Amino acid sequence: MSFLLRCPHCGDRSVYEFRFGGEVKPRPAPGASEEEWVNYAYNRTNSAGVQTEWWYHRSGCRQWIKAVRNTRTNEVLETFYPEENAR
Amino acid sequence: MSRFFFDGEPIEAQPGDTVASALYRAGRRIFTRSFKYHRPRGLLCLSGHCPNCMMNVDGVPNVRACVTPAREGMRVRHQNAWPSLEQDWLSAAQHFDSLMPVGWYYKTLTHPSAWHVAEPWIRKVAGLGDPPPPDAPPREYEHAFLQAEVAVVGGGPSGIAAAFEAASGGAQVILIDDQPEPGGHLRYTRPGEAPASIAQLRGQPNVELLARAYCFGLYEGGLLGVLQADPHPGAHERLVHLRAKRVVVATGAYEVPLLFENNDLPGILLSGGARRLLFLHRIVPGRRCVIVGIGARAEDLASDLRGAGIEIVSLISPDEVLGAVGSTRVEGLRFRGGSVTCDLIVVCGPLLPDAGLLSQAGARLAWSAAHGAFLPADLPPHVTAVGRVTGSGLEPAVPLPPGEVRAGKRHFVCLCSDVTSQDLVDGISEGFEHIETLKRYTTATMGPCQGRMCQLPAIGICARETGRTMGETGTTTARPPSPSVTLGALAGPRHHPVRRTPMHYQHEALGAVWLDMGAWKRPRYYRTAESSEERRCVQGEYQAVRERAGMIDVSTLGKLEVRGRDAGRLLDKVYTNRFSDLRPGRVRYCVICDDAGIMLDDGTISSIADDHYFLTTTTGNLEFVEQWLEWWLAGTGWDVHITNLTGGLAAVNLAGPQARDVLAGLTGLDVSAKAFPYMACRQALVADIPAILLRIGFVGETGWEIHVPAESGEDLWKALLEAGKAFGIRAFGVEAQRLLRLEKQHVIVGVDTDALTSPYEADMAWVVKLEKNDFIGKAALSRAAGDPREQLVGFVMQEDGVPDDGSAVVMDGRPAGRVTSSRFSPREGRAIGLAWVPAGLAGEGAEIRVRVQGRPLLARVTRRPFYDPEGARLRM
Repeated sequence: MSFLLRCPHCGDRSVYEFRFGGEVKPRPAPGASEEEWVNYAYNRTNSAGVQTEWWYHRSGCRQWIKAVRNTRTNEVLETFYPEENAR
Repeated sequence: MSRFFFDGEPIEAQPGDTVASALYRAGRRIFTRSFKYHRPRGLLCLSGHCPNCMMNVDGVPNVRACVTPAREGMRVRHQNAWPSLEQDWLSAAQHFDSLMPVGWYYKTLTHPSAWHVAEPWIRKVAGLGDPPPPDAPPREYEHAFLQAEVAVVGGGPSGIAAAFEAASGGAQVILIDDQPEPGGHLRYTRPGEAPASIAQLRGQPNVELLARAYCFGLYEGGLLGVLQADPHPGAHERLVHLRAKRVVVATGAYEVPLLFENNDLPGILLSGGARRLLFLHRIVPGRRCVIVGIGARAEDLASDLRGAGIEIVSLISPDEVLGAVGSTRVEGLRFRGGSVTCDLIVVCGPLLPDAGLLSQAGARLAWSAAHGAFLPADLPPHVTAVGRVTGSGLEPAVPLPPGEVRAGKRHFVCLCSDVTSQDLVDGISEGFEHIETLKRYTTATMGPCQGRMCQLPAIGICARETGRTMGETGTTTARPPSPSVTLGALAGPRHHPVRRTPMHYQHEALGAVWLDMGAWKRPRYYRTAESSEERRCVQGEYQAVRERAGMIDVSTLGKLEVRGRDAGRLLDKVYTNRFSDLRPGRVRYCVICDDAGIMLDDGTISSIADDHYFLTTTTGNLEFVEQWLEWWLAGTGWDVHITNLTGGLAAVNLAGPQARDVLAGLTGLDVSAKAFPYMACRQALVADIPAILLRIGFVGETGWEIHVPAESGEDLWKALLEAGKAFGIRAFGVEAQRLLRLEKQHVIVGVDTDALTSPYEADMAWVVKLEKNDFIGKAALSRAAGDPREQLVGFVMQEDGVPDDGSAVVMDGRPAGRVTSSRFSPREGRAIGLAWVPAGLAGEGAEIRVRVQGRPLLARVTRRPFYDPEGARLRM
């Protein structure tokens, strides 16, 4: 795995500068059902294809960003600050 | 002129010599013994491809002598032969070849006991080379990170032209060439006719040439793995991580041997090998020569060899050849209709595109009957191929194997592991018809040459025996690294990062015995003039804290500053208890859980002002906590700023009944229990150093955690030691701290808790404020609050013995829980500890059994701290 991620702040950087933060999953509202909470806490979609995910630029600007990546090809389609897209 | 040693004998080397050329000039013809049969092998390709010249150079095994420059004082040793290359007793193996058919491990060693008898012997004779002994002087390797707009792999005529073209267009170019000089095959096919572009290229400021470097992997994102030999006298090898926007592969073609009987005898050279000896090293390789080949290439070779004074006895077409004659070196050649005597056979082998790199990168390899080779197709984006690697400029195919398949026991397809054409035919007849299964069964293409020499003949035999075309048979899969890379180069420089606290050298002067915690060095305990025995030293430190005063360096704690209008809001959300109502000047213990309700970390939060908090985390979890806070902040738009102060602050925990007297002498601050109560924080000067003081008590005594700028850490330490002298203060280490906190049943997250622990199970329900609106973990904790299945409890051993951390708690002879921490408590006079037990055994006074050295010893549960259960001493 040696693809590049475009950090919105630092530009194209090696994936080794980042920490993977998992797929973006909306957190249930405080009063949500037990099933929703269990699903959020324990289950992962594990997509084979395009998914939106969290990355932390550990060896760079130390900010969390989101990336849209194809998990089959490691093609990164888009990266952006989390502000630009509701959590 | 330089001199090196081969098996202890001095060898003279001319300028430009490799180890192999100098040995050949000195008369050596046998360079290695083969892997399985220990047959003598001599120089063949002289280009670093074949396995025939691998030696031990300065302790490193399997070094290819033909591409290793000879250097003064080098120590070269033969390998895989005993006692010498000329007389190798293990060569007897070739007389027992019928006992070692293809796949013989699987066929003959089927009985379990047979393998046990055979294994030690096989281990002794199998394998290639010896690893350097543990006491060998270490070698230096380094890593470099380079970037280029265009990376060109291969410094032959096509690579030079491509580099020149890209550079002329203004691009930043890196040219990678595995030879000492660029020029590729022109250096030995047309010596003296170096293209003018080489000189031009050197004049280009935007071209960097990496000589004696090869690309072993072409990875996604335009990453090239490049290994450069001898980058400078201080490093043995350099691994270059090269990022390029465009990659031009100009790896050219390489020559492979032909199949005939005894085709592996010393004295049989590939045409490229003979040319390299002649034109690069000025060595005349023999006197009476037979050339096997056809067409202009063979004619040119004959004329060049004649020019060097070699007698060309005969020029024979490959399909006429029957076999070479000789036992340890070539004495003649048999062909259809006759034989000749000679001391040299030069084979014009097929030239194959060196497309392994392209194949690794995802290109398809398509069979071209016109070229007699697999050619790269469907290249990945940003990768192009130029020159002979594409098949251009290669002569029409020599069928391989020529004529019908010659299944012979001395027709060597794979030189690396002694696989003959007979072995392949046998393997196919046993059902291994697919090229990939045939490869795994026979090990052809799996040796050090990584299939370069043998892949095409193996595919050819497989195709003919199974009645398929070459294209249908296909190739085996190319994977990086190819060519191979030393483990040292991958590991890189021998750097072990160490973090030292600002007081490190004070600890050293006090006789610290070190404990590694991650990258940090922390004093485990301090040796004293009376004793260096751990138990006695720890006991002395323990007593100082309980009876007088002690101090411990806690600079390794994670320290974060959280500021901004919404700081309290963020802390309320992330931590399980409430912080927005924490008044300035107060400290609160804090726990982080995730949304599954699992405890992730603990620490303290001090309120400095309404919009300013000071957090401490455990030593190992700082990075996690910082990222966790940032993550929950990301995208919220809240006004919060998190700054990591860990490296900027030093910290000392001063504790003990007389800690107040020690501190009072160093500060103008009123440190009385009334003015500075338990769980309060203040900012003040201590020993004239600006400090943040937290009145907390991990060890269970009146105490302060004093944070000062790192540059003043040593001054603070010395001032405290000096002021404490009159009170009998002692520095204490991590081991005494662990014992002190255990008597208070203070847990260490990650030691006493694990990846499934909720605060309820850790007996810390008081840190969870379920009445808060929302926080991370609330949903899970609301449901978990009821009845934990397991409970973390304290215990006191009722019999002699100190359980190891991790010992089992047993019930009816079965494991029912485990001890997380246990120490001998001087106060109790017996061992105490913390353990996980089933909820049913968690009641005060319950009897449990703990396994100590195999015996289940009685212990009694207690959920009250062993020491000062009311916490009165903390508040004094």
